[in-house]
Amino acid sequence: MQSSPGGGVVPRLSPVGRRTLLACSFILAAALGQMNFTGDQVLRILAKNEKQLSLLRDLEGLKPQKVDFWRGPARPSLPVDMRVPFSELKDIKAYLESHGLAYNIMIKDIQVLLDEEREAMAKSRRLERSTSSFSYSSYHTLEEIYTWIDNFVTEHSDIVSKLQIGHSFENRSILVLKFSTGGSRRPAIWIDSGIHSREWITHATGIWIARKIVSEYGKDRVVTDVLNAMDVFLEIVSNPDGFAYTHSMNRLWRKNKSSRPGIFCIGVDLNRNWKSGFGGNGSNNNPCSETYHGPSPQSEPEVAAVVDFIMSHGSVKALISIHSYSQMLMYPYGHSLEPVSNQEELMWPAGSQLTGPMTVASSTPSASSSGTQGAMASCCPPRRSSPRPRRRGWPFGPSWRTHCIIPTDSTAEGRARGVVFFSKAWAPPETQVMDPFPIPALTP
Amino acid sequence: MQLRRQPLPAPRPGDARPAAQRLAGPLLLLLALQGAAASGGPEDSGWLQDAEPSSRLLSQAARAALHFFNFRAASPSALQVLANVLDGRAWEDEKRLGKCSAQVFFRNEKPRPAVNVTCSQLMKKERRQEEDYHLYKLMKQLESPLNAVSIPDSHGYIAPSLRPIWDLAFLGSSYVMWQKTTPFLHYYMSQISSVKQWKTNDDAIDFDYTVLLHEFSTQEIIPCHIHLVWYPSKPLKVKYHCQERQTPEEASGTEDGSAMALTELSNF
Repeated sequence: MQSSPGGGVVPRLSPVGRRTLLACSFILAAALGQMNFTGDQVLRILAKNEKQLSLLRDLEGLKPQKVDFWRGPARPSLPVDMRVPFSELKDIKAYLESHGLAYNIMIKDIQVLLDEEREAMAKSRRLERSTSSFSYSSYHTLEEIYTWIDNFVTEHSDIVSKLQIGHSFENRSILVLKFSTGGSRRPAIWIDSGIHSREWITHATGIWIARKIVSEYGKDRVVTDVLNAMDVFLEIVSNPDGFAYTHSMNRLWRKNKSSRPGIFCIGVDLNRNWKSGFGGNGSNNNPCSETYHGPSPQSEPEVAAVVDFIMSHGSVKALISIHSYSQMLMYPYGHSLEPVSNQEELMWPAGSQLTGPMTVASSTPSASSSGTQGAMASCCPPRRSSPRPRRRGWPFGPSWRTHCIIPTDSTAEGRARGVVFFSKAWAPPETQVMDPFPIPALTP
Repeated sequence: MQLRRQPLPAPRPGDARPAAQRLAGPLLLLLALQGAAASGGPEDSGWLQDAEPSSRLLSQAARAALHFFNFRAASPSALQVLANVLDGRAWEDEKRLGKCSAQVFFRNEKPRPAVNVTCSQLMKKERRQEEDYHLYKLMKQLESPLNAVSIPDSHGYIAPSLRPIWDLAFLGSSYVMWQKTTPFLHYYMSQISSVKQWKTNDDAIDFDYTVLLHEFSTQEIIPCHIHLVWYPSKPLKVKYHCQERQTPEEASGTEDGSAMALTELSNF
């Protein structure tokens, strides 16, 4: 850092240093009732010896006060930082120069910095406090999503509340949103996303679902009917450790981050850790495998938390798990091709017979539960009346069409096991087709 | 347009895979394809009308045929993705879809099926050659993308200037994926993880890179080192080496999962 009389290179303050200085000024300004510091400068002086130091101390002693030390004269080796009001600049600089005191202009205009800082702080406070500035068309970090959750709950506290159902292996909170219009111990629907951390689109989908529920309640007949009779539980980040890892180290990480002594590889595929068909086809007992099922069913804290919650609730009627990619609706379980006892009821279409199977299976992201990929549902072709809009981003991945929520009938009791929920028949409005999430994520 | 399937033997007791099929002959398929750029997905709708086990097999065959087709066409500007596997019942007749019929033969469930595929209604040959040449010129002018770390980036974004690189890489990967597809394993290209070399000294584009292939049934991410040489309208030359942690046959027991496998040379 070279210094020369008459000013010179402005040294770079570390952000912390700068902030501290500015914070002090800001507090000062506030305390003095919004003083104006326009044109004021902060000079950094390096005193070469005791003599020069005492000269600086003389400045300090001037009455009326001409300078204000932010870092007072102490030892010759330490820099001295001095705020000089605009009106005194010329005199003070002349004084310094005449005595051979080398200085730098550290801050050229304090007011400019104060203004910038104040604006930035206000802006970030605005961002933090409201979901309306949350960008729904981009991907977010775990912290951003958790902040969004808090804001969302605050803004819709009449319908939404936040539950913590456990902790992940690395001790992160596992959060669930509860959508309820009242009642007690109502039958419920469970939705989870993000169980495979690299499937970033699914977290975005979970957020989208949350918004849709609150915005459609009271407007859309079906959503309203469902919420008047049932609760919805939504776990957006089912694998918080894995998700954090996809941001910090490995975008393609799929499993959780659990480790066990003596085992070389990390992580269990949470979607193979359920007690349903455990260890079957499509899972792997090699800890290094992407589909490692773990040492035992529900061995993973992320899965155990969900199981405990659902079992103790006792009245969950439908379970929906969101994945990417592949444009499939799979039901009811992924590990078996055998039809279940309520197969017919499961496929019962909502609304009129005319809409038929189209209604049920239109444009959903894939759901893949435990076990093989072999189980495939009867899916109907998504209708496209116009060419799909071109999207920026990966040229592959789920063709992200609408996101629909549909219960199978107005009572929704006993039906809708593993079927996705739709809000508006099978012809959603254009705004939904031009989805808010143009960027597809990776693998299921 | 008929779709014929070979009669499938019933699964034997003790079969590891409930839907195991021993194939007596080739699979005959009718495919609808569309240009990669216009579509949104690796398979926009890779589903089938019914849920029979054999439909999955048909999907596998279709994908293998597709990879082979793309490789043979050697045209990065005209990469095709699967729109539909048709089942004799026609869907809406989309004019922009190309139609192909393919014969795919998996011998003893091994990879690298024999493929015979003919397509119609795709991009006209002259136009394709034009596009390829245009792409070629762009690539020649491209500054060496050695610094590009991941294509696409974490957010799925490919800068427009890097798009030709993606297309060419995909072309090379098509060969690899065709080589590796079995009745039970299918692949898609996730990401270019590094570019080792990009040379255009002589006429052809000499491209040396690694990709991450995603295998769907095991969910594994497989890094493959690919070296290709491309000149418009000439057949593609490809060499590759994939690093595989494990194959289904090695699934049980191994703790250290790193196994080098499948070093193959092609028509270099």
